[in-house]
Amino acid sequence: MNLASFRKKSPWILHYNAGGCNGCDIEILACLGPKYDIERFGMINTGNPKQSDILLVTGPVTKRSRERLVEIYAQMPEPKVVISCGACASTGGVFRGMYNCEGGVDQFIPVDVYVCGCGTRPEQIIDGVVQALAILETKTKEIEKSVKLNKEVVKEGTQINRRNIADEIKPLVT
Amino acid sequence: MNNVLLPVLLIILAPFIGGLVYGFERIVKARMQRRVGPPLLQPFYDFLKLADKRRMMVHSAHAFLGIMHFVSLWFALAVLLLGGDLILVVFLHLLSSSLMILAGYSTRSIFSHLGANRTAMTLLAYEPVLILIAVSMYLVTGSFDASSVYKMSEPLLYKMPLAFVALLLILPIKLKKSPFDIAEAHQEITGGAEIEFSGIFYEAVYTSKWLDYVFCYTLVFLFAGSNILLGAALVVFTFFYLNALDNSSARVNYRQMLRFSLTVAFSLAFINLLINSLT
Repeated sequence: MNLASFRKKSPWILHYNAGGCNGCDIEILACLGPKYDIERFGMINTGNPKQSDILLVTGPVTKRSRERLVEIYAQMPEPKVVISCGACASTGGVFRGMYNCEGGVDQFIPVDVYVCGCGTRPEQIIDGVVQALAILETKTKEIEKSVKLNKEVVKEGTQINRRNIADEIKPLVT
Repeated sequence: MNNVLLPVLLIILAPFIGGLVYGFERIVKARMQRRVGPPLLQPFYDFLKLADKRRMMVHSAHAFLGIMHFVSLWFALAVLLLGGDLILVVFLHLLSSSLMILAGYSTRSIFSHLGANRTAMTLLAYEPVLILIAVSMYLVTGSFDASSVYKMSEPLLYKMPLAFVALLLILPIKLKKSPFDIAEAHQEITGGAEIEFSGIFYEAVYTSKWLDYVFCYTLVFLFAGSNILLGAALVVFTFFYLNALDNSSARVNYRQMLRFSLTVAFSLAFINLLINSLT
């Protein structure tokens, strides 16, 4: 029996608001309601990182919430996937470059699926979760290793400095 | 339940039966909210998925207590189904709950501590009533053994209806259903004492919830004596009563729960005890 095939049958969701406007959160809660009813697919909004498979992040990461975000991500047992819900979580959105915000979620934790929209529609969230389930099934035990150790070291001057968003954008060295 | 084969089969199959009950309950709950609901085998999908997750434990004693919670609950259920002493059954169930409380206190998580506190409160609310019901059964049947209840030709329900009402009032506390789900309180303390369990260790806690269903419905079944049809009717009635109550009520706080169970349910069980001892 292939246990990995059961991952997509019972994805338990952890929902974290990293400092957004609550627009996307309301849409996520609408998914649980009678109209969209994602419990059909066995999804539960657990609220407990130690028992969940999918991390749904909404909102731009504020300076206060980034530590919590990374901590919650670290507490989730593998295999796990991360979905960034909405424009703010994906890129920073309208909050990008503000003094209290860091920008997108992917600057701190690896994101598997980006869901666009401001705020995201419930259909889009469900579609994003279904795509995430396909990724979740392919995750292996290898993922339990550290991500940072496998990455190449970033060279100086090859990335946009996200803190100075008003700076002139230099072309990336490829 | 005359031969020993049926109870043994029920004991072995208890987690499967409980899982099916839980799956059916989730469908019924969803239909009550005009949703479609998950498939019937959803609890088993969850079970198999949790088996594949990475094993993370807080410390070994914590994981051990969670597994022993499951084992002792299964043992209590076995004693009940084999017709053992009812007082022993009640205290074995108490033991399994206290193992969960110890597990809750053994971590540093504040939610875990809160959940353990609240689980202790729920114990305080329903254990006295359960013991009074067991004593009432002793007065009617003349024996503490559950096997003597199974053999009763006349159902216990007609002799002690108030005890059945008291049992109905404490079952939501025991099964952690709204309005008395303060020990679990998913929106408030995200699961209480079980919060720190993960992966295969959470599986033990998750499965013990299924066993709890079988345990509680067997307690309900006791009230029918040897009348299996009446027992089935009582179990079905209790099932829909619990789900309707769960869907239609909001959570109370622990003071209200204690006050309710120790005044209403406890007095009902006590009046029932007095009537049984006088007649």
